[in-house]
Amino acid sequence: MIGILEYVWLVPLVPVLCFVLAGFFGKKTPQGGGYIAVAGALIAFVIAALASYDYFSSDYWAANAPYVAELAWMKVGRFTLNFGVYIDSLSCIMMLFASFISTLIFIYSIGYMDDQAEKKTRYYAEVSLFLTGMLGLAVSSNYLEMFVFWEIMGLCSYLLIGFWSFKHPNGDEASINASSAAKKAFLVTRLGDVCLMAGLFVLMYMVGSLDYVDVFENPAKIADQYGNMLPVAVLLMFAGVVGKSAQFPLHDWLPDAMAGPTTVSALIHAATMVKAGIYLVARSFPIFVYCQDAMIIVAVIGGVTAIYTASMALNNMNIKRVLAYSTLSQLGYMVLALGSGAYLISMGMESGNEELIVLGGAAYVAGVMHMVNHAFFKALLFLGSGSVIHAVGTEDMRHMGGLRKEMPITAYTMLIGCLSIAGIPIFSGFWSKDLVLEAAFAPFHEGLGAGSIFMVLFILGMITAFMTAFYMFRMWFMTFCGKERGHCHGESPYNMTVPLIILAVFATISGLGMLLIDGNAGILQSLATGLSGTFDGVVNALPHFHDGIHTIKEIFMEIPTYVALVLAILGIGIAWKLYVKTPYDAEAFKPENHGALYNFNAKRHYFPELYNWISWKFGAGVAKGVNAFDKYVIDGTVNGLSNTAVGGGEGLSGLQTGYVRDYAGLVAVGVIVILAIFALIFVYGGGF
Amino acid sequence: MIDIAFFLAFSAILFGIGMFGLISSKRGLVTLMSIELMLNSANINFIAFASYSGNADGMVFVIFTIALAAAEVAVGIALMLNAYKIQKTTEVDKLSTMRW
Repeated sequence: MIGILEYVWLVPLVPVLCFVLAGFFGKKTPQGGGYIAVAGALIAFVIAALASYDYFSSDYWAANAPYVAELAWMKVGRFTLNFGVYIDSLSCIMMLFASFISTLIFIYSIGYMDDQAEKKTRYYAEVSLFLTGMLGLAVSSNYLEMFVFWEIMGLCSYLLIGFWSFKHPNGDEASINASSAAKKAFLVTRLGDVCLMAGLFVLMYMVGSLDYVDVFENPAKIADQYGNMLPVAVLLMFAGVVGKSAQFPLHDWLPDAMAGPTTVSALIHAATMVKAGIYLVARSFPIFVYCQDAMIIVAVIGGVTAIYTASMALNNMNIKRVLAYSTLSQLGYMVLALGSGAYLISMGMESGNEELIVLGGAAYVAGVMHMVNHAFFKALLFLGSGSVIHAVGTEDMRHMGGLRKEMPITAYTMLIGCLSIAGIPIFSGFWSKDLVLEAAFAPFHEGLGAGSIFMVLFILGMITAFMTAFYMFRMWFMTFCGKERGHCHGESPYNMTVPLIILAVFATISGLGMLLIDGNAGILQSLATGLSGTFDGVVNALPHFHDGIHTIKEIFMEIPTYVALVLAILGIGIAWKLYVKTPYDAEAFKPENHGALYNFNAKRHYFPELYNWISWKFGAGVAKGVNAFDKYVIDGTVNGLSNTAVGGGEGLSGLQTGYVRDYAGLVAVGVIVILAIFALIFVYGGGF
Repeated sequence: MIDIAFFLAFSAILFGIGMFGLISSKRGLVTLMSIELMLNSANINFIAFASYSGNADGMVFVIFTIALAAAEVAVGIALMLNAYKIQKTTEVDKLSTMRW
């Protein structure tokens, strides 16, 4: 115990101070406030690391309990809304990797955004606020506080995706593109956010509080008492996740979000934003496990997203878009693992089968671990692609090629990223992806009710693993191998390559490392913390069922591991055959030689058109109705009231002629009227 | 002794004439005269009631009123003379420089 845990609220506070400093005084400091942002992220990381160490060596950890400190924020009727921190192993992991990767991305930004002159200040202020959103979300002690930070991230993503909406280096069309991408990201995630808010209202109604401690205290009782309302709340919250983590069918904003600077893409995809949705699912696991059928939906959405978006990456020519689709696909994996895990635990709790709970715990670990590993290799890949774009000046892979010799550090660090995401052993992605696939396989293996659905999802996951290996290496081969098809400025500066090397190290070791230091037991502890309120026994013992060495052994004893591995190598081989062995065929890349399937895929299966169609047919109709209501009913009332007042005033002001004799006459008439009334009272009322 | 009703009726008629003059006339001097008539109708009431009730209070009031009316007429005529000097008229409707 070194007492830093009590100061963990500094973790989100330091970046927000940097936001203020960089925003107001950044112009006067070197690099437009870049060093302020880096320092803020670094300090946040150091505090997060010390606080995590403190937590893991404290009694809270030993007792499977979270560290909670709260202040009353406001009181509304019988509800008290708090603002505080809730630290368990999940929050620790989240704030550690978010602040660490953000630090590296910010350092990289100093090199990457060097030519942006005055706009740098805005950039560094906004990314600091973005980091605040993520760290605040990780340490929040209740759903409302989490929602506040969730929205801060939504705002920052809007601002940063539209960063080039005024003056894009590639011209006006690109800036229009950037501003419409920003709007799309904001509006599509907003759809999810509204659902999330509705879900929180339902939850608030049932529990009477939004504190994690209260919600997780006795979810079984809530499930009993409110029957079908809990699944409604859970599904609405999951709709928020679908928006934020860009799951099918709200996935389409993420590829468009590539209009922002590459560092922003790295931030959104690796450290912040889309991870928030996964975090929400992992955090809400204790209530999710009481909604069995809803969890099948969650898993199906995850599985469908994984394969569907992977298919769109197969023929994309934009290096960043390929990475964007791969993020979508990996997020699908995480959701699939978490949905499957919740389903397993739910079944286990229903039938009292402890083995299922243990398997569900493994699936939970798979989801969270894949989130962490993905953060490392996706940050690496995005920063690598940024380095390439910086050197080549285009995002089109048709104009790259042969860059391996020009920029070796970028090429080989990116190769590590590709190996990792493709699931080649030793590299981090292999371990967690394998656990994810096992998680999807488990319900079928155990012969559960929805086993066949999960079997289909497992097969989809396998195909996705194959496609992932193919499109990632297609990207790598097209960029770094073969003939040079464009010119290149050579390797990027040190402040860009050093973060790449550090990330490459982590993308290699994070998977195995987490298993070896029993990180999975650590992750499970947060699940045990959340679930212990109702289901003691095996849940409390859960962390001990999964020691790392045992898991590693298990991975190599399962057949699916080898199938996935063969598929991945096959994917790499096909990519090599198509893009390296065969000489570059410029004809095949020309638009008129594209097949129907190619075009269908390149048009993203007409999803943007579908969004437009829905917004025009449905959204615009609703908007028109609301507009008419606003114009005629609300404005009508307000204008009517003011017109009455103005008209009445004008009418009465006519009496004020300015002639003394008129006033005298009015006074006389008034006196006469009053006298007449008195006289009437006197005559008919029989005296006063 | 004459009935008090005659005094009151006379006073009311006088007041009515003054009121009519005030409302109908456009000329400033007539307005002043009308006000004088109305003040005097009030004086008649005071004196009538004072002499009928045997209390001298009302008469004291009348002396005050007469003094006040004299002062008021002095100010009023001074105003009218000055207005005539500046605007060449004493018609109140035309003295409208400060009207909205």
